[in-house]
Amino acid sequence: MEKENSSAGADLVIPALALAFVVYFFVSTAELAWEAKANAIVIGTVLVLLTIAQVVRIVLRLASRRANLGVAVLWEPRDVVWKRLGMVAVTAAFIAALPWLGLTLSLWLGMLAALWIMGLRRPRILVVLPLATAGSCYALFIAVLDAGFPRGPLEALLGSLLRFGGA
Amino acid sequence: MTWQFLADQFATQFGLWWVIWPGILLGIVVGILPGFSPQNTLIMLLPLTLAVPVEQAFAFMIALYCANHLAGGVPAILVRIPGSGGAAATTLDGYPMARKGQAQQAIVLSFTASVFGGLITTLATIALLPWLSQLGLYLRSVEMVVVMLFGLTLIAVVAAKDALKGLIAGFFGLMIGAIGTDHIYDTPRATFGFLELYDGVPLVAALIGLFAISEALVMIEEKLIVTEDARERAMRSTWADTWEGIVITGRKWWHITWTAFIGLFIGIVPGAGASIAAFVAYQQSRMWSKTPELYGTGIPEGVIAPESANNGVTSGTLVPMMALGVPGGSTAAVMMIVLQYHGMVMGPRLFTTNPELAYGVFVSMAVAYIFMILTILPLARYMARIVLIETTYLVPIIILVTVVAAFVERQYLFDMGLALIFGVIGYIAHKTNYHVTAMLIGIILGPLFEQYLVRSLRLSEGNLMILFSSPLANVLWGLLVLSLVVPLVRGWKRRVSRS
Repeated sequence: MEKENSSAGADLVIPALALAFVVYFFVSTAELAWEAKANAIVIGTVLVLLTIAQVVRIVLRLASRRANLGVAVLWEPRDVVWKRLGMVAVTAAFIAALPWLGLTLSLWLGMLAALWIMGLRRPRILVVLPLATAGSCYALFIAVLDAGFPRGPLEALLGSLLRFGGA
Repeated sequence: MTWQFLADQFATQFGLWWVIWPGILLGIVVGILPGFSPQNTLIMLLPLTLAVPVEQAFAFMIALYCANHLAGGVPAILVRIPGSGGAAATTLDGYPMARKGQAQQAIVLSFTASVFGGLITTLATIALLPWLSQLGLYLRSVEMVVVMLFGLTLIAVVAAKDALKGLIAGFFGLMIGAIGTDHIYDTPRATFGFLELYDGVPLVAALIGLFAISEALVMIEEKLIVTEDARERAMRSTWADTWEGIVITGRKWWHITWTAFIGLFIGIVPGAGASIAAFVAYQQSRMWSKTPELYGTGIPEGVIAPESANNGVTSGTLVPMMALGVPGGSTAAVMMIVLQYHGMVMGPRLFTTNPELAYGVFVSMAVAYIFMILTILPLARYMARIVLIETTYLVPIIILVTVVAAFVERQYLFDMGLALIFGVIGYIAHKTNYHVTAMLIGIILGPLFEQYLVRSLRLSEGNLMILFSSPLANVLWGLLVLSLVVPLVRGWKRRVSRS
């Protein structure tokens, strides 16, 4: 059940995204054969009707002053907003750095930064936990599964050391 | 088929313990980690399964497949991140149980319900195989469209507290599932110009984003997943808690049985899969319960129903493959490739030309379930300790490791970025009660839904009324409407009786 005076603006974010996507889908497939767009027309039409119903419901709540157009619910509690944004930023930076630094080094740095953002300051854990995570991922994804992750300087070094050891 | 034949089959399969056990262990690992699907693991292991005799290859694949379905419930219970779509319904009561300090009991319930549900349906399949194989033939493209809409509606109504929001999330998911090239002309649609989306939205990236990343972003708000009281209780957990889970399972044997059969019947329908089966079982369990209002608060029945059903699916999925040559899901399709490589021709003749293999597959499944319960039950106590780890450590590990796992399916960096985007969408959905489960199931069903819808429309030259042209489809439409109306009427009655 909705809370009294709840942030109805936040309730509109998902319907707005859905509606924008439906419009994009319809516009970008307007020239295609009917078979290529029939599915989207059926689903999109239902989605638009559902969205309208939700908007009407919110308007009624606004009219009876049981809600406001705020989006505060997305930011609460305020004291962890920076942690949350920090985690998203670190993840984006980790993905961006992966092609240059390789999986192991970028994951080690990413984990280190993420733990720091989460408020951890104990040096031993800050070194050991990222090392263990990056090491496990190296062992599983590169050494065992040979998945196609980008190789960086560390993988090149470890690869040549292992080859040297093997020879 | 004689008793002697069956006894020989069981003896043969027990003799393959050295193949079954590694399959179970690998299946458990693959099931727990979101991002690793059984079909991908089997594809990676094709050089192995193609090299060994067909009986050994199949025993290994079956063990891995069943263990994967069983283990998907573990992260669903502990951190509300299902290992696969089939375990999504387990989060509804499994996670609240973990938060109450009953993680160990919930995991034991999930294991025992999965194993007994899987075992019962496997034995039933062995007995009823010739009749069950006919079931899938009654469902044509028109009925399949309604089955999928019915499944999605149930999920929206069951999983979300607000049915309208659940439906918006579900249909948004279906719409996202339509991204990619169309089935007839291969024309790209709504790909935002990315070549990586021509094959559609990668399901692993969607699963990781909507569940793992979004959940971790919400988890930041708390120091621990569990409350302080629950933490104290979890710290004091003993083997008696494992026993308590087993006792509850014993008491609920009938519940396990009938929900497992829901899984079996839905598994036979090609494409319907474990995710729909688990939600239908959950909804039916709630509907017939004397205390439906307790569902979602962390009760054993809410864990038993979906777990039993998603393992009931395992034997159901193989029925159309063995009897008709039509794989019931992607894992079954990989298994079929291995069988065909070994010169086996699927279809009704398999039961007369090679009954050892035809029935042996299901006997192998029954044996795998017996081995599984012995392997995994003692681990429940130690797995449950994960809820005691502080979120300071848990959040970075969940986010970064699952983002890495998003790469594994297709090996595109793009998928990692997509997982992050889905994570942010999932976080907004979490905060505003648009249920991410409905969205994910929509994305999973999207491509299949389009395939059946377009096929139906081509038959009727674009006339939508074909969707109401068959008696079976109309019955399903009726059930769909009922599933929307009944909760409304119940809610209204409750409000009236309260006032």
